[in-house]
Amino acid sequence: MNKENLAISISGMSKWYDDFKVLTDIDLSVTFGERIVICGPSGSGKSTLIRCLNHLEEHQKGSIVVDGIELYPGMKNPELVRRTVGMVFQSFNLFPHLTILENCILPQRRALKRSKEQAREVAMKFLERVKIPEQADKYPRQLSGGQQQRVAIARALCMEPKIMLFDEPTSALDPEMVSEVLDTMIELALSGITMLCVTHEMGFARKVADRVIFMDTGQIIESNAPETFFSQPKHPRAKEFLGQIL
Amino acid sequence: MFDFRFYEIWRSQEFVQALIDGALTSFWLSSIGGCLGFCLGLMLAISQEKSVFWGIRYTARSYIELIRNTPFIVQLFFVAFGLPLLMDYQWSFYASALLAITLNFSAYFAEIVRSGIDSIDKGQIEASKALCLTKRETLMDIVLPQALVKVYPSLVSQFIFLFLTTGLVSEISIEDLTWAGRFISDRNFRDFEVFIVLTVMYMALAWLFKLLLQLLKRYAFPWAEAEI
Repeated sequence: MNKENLAISISGMSKWYDDFKVLTDIDLSVTFGERIVICGPSGSGKSTLIRCLNHLEEHQKGSIVVDGIELYPGMKNPELVRRTVGMVFQSFNLFPHLTILENCILPQRRALKRSKEQAREVAMKFLERVKIPEQADKYPRQLSGGQQQRVAIARALCMEPKIMLFDEPTSALDPEMVSEVLDTMIELALSGITMLCVTHEMGFARKVADRVIFMDTGQIIESNAPETFFSQPKHPRAKEFLGQIL
Repeated sequence: MFDFRFYEIWRSQEFVQALIDGALTSFWLSSIGGCLGFCLGLMLAISQEKSVFWGIRYTARSYIELIRNTPFIVQLFFVAFGLPLLMDYQWSFYASALLAITLNFSAYFAEIVRSGIDSIDKGQIEASKALCLTKRETLMDIVLPQALVKVYPSLVSQFIFLFLTTGLVSEISIEDLTWAGRFISDRNFRDFEVFIVLTVMYMALAWLFKLLLQLLKRYAFPWAEAEI
């Protein structure tokens, strides 16, 4: 397949923290519109992998091409790739000193140079999409965790990315708030955006994922359609993991 | 029992006027010095934390260390007597006092602001990166506002403390509140009463500063006051 048509193309990628190898020979291709769930035990490198995709982390070996842009260590203009890649964090990382609306407006104004009115319009559109337009003038700490995470999703969507990365978006939430965030993500997945999601929510994986990737000790050891992955995992480590989590 | 004679102060129009003028001088010197010192301190903190040039970082750090580890009186005399000799130019003592206060305050403020910048969660910076904000935008729009709110109480208490040390400017004949006290006690020899009055007036000024800074906070950081 032509590399240019791939959303993400990773080949032979490795990453070290000093002497410690966190990712080993990762190969992964993602087409546009594909929805991928990445799971695996903690410390397996899932988060590090997706953080490499918007250059929050640098890889040392191999190649990563995201939306036709080659990433390399020490690159001068990572904002090129960040413009097409949105990210949602485990701890929301909303800006506490800005209202919900301002959280969504500021990056558009700064990075996309949109006018105030235009940015506001886009922000409200996405806040409505995540179903919290009525909270627009509140501050993040006045919202519940689930609401905050939905704002974080809206904030990322305001930049109109082609690819969305989710780094354990529901892990910091109270159990009863998980479903509202997952519903938002399912709605988003069905809209056709390219998604890579690190999560342990297997229900979500089953419902929307085109592919489930299982990682252990910095390697991708299994990559399969969710039905296959859940019903007949090949690798013993994956079996063990599923046995514990399901 | 000591016989307090406060009327030895009140009965003289000249003494009362000296106290009022002195209090005003102390107030304005600290206010203006505080504002200028804060601006300079902010720049020092940013240079020390964020500058890409090691020369600038090192200079800022050295300046902060130099000021924080030398007595104010030495800095004051250097600015008032040393600098004019070096530069062959004579300022008024008021200008010297203001400059010395500004330089002195700035180093203490810089250290506090620096600790605030350090304390901002890394996630905030990662989110800024992921949203394509530049380093400058991240600092100005995201990190600094949060850092300043966090350290605001420390800045206020440091300012109050520094304000109380400004009495030393009376050493270069600035007619501030401390100078007024000495002026009066030299004439009526009621040192005890005079310094009790000074104590009360310094305290009142400190409270006034605290109140003004509280109002300023409400105005500058409305989000920090928002109810949950």
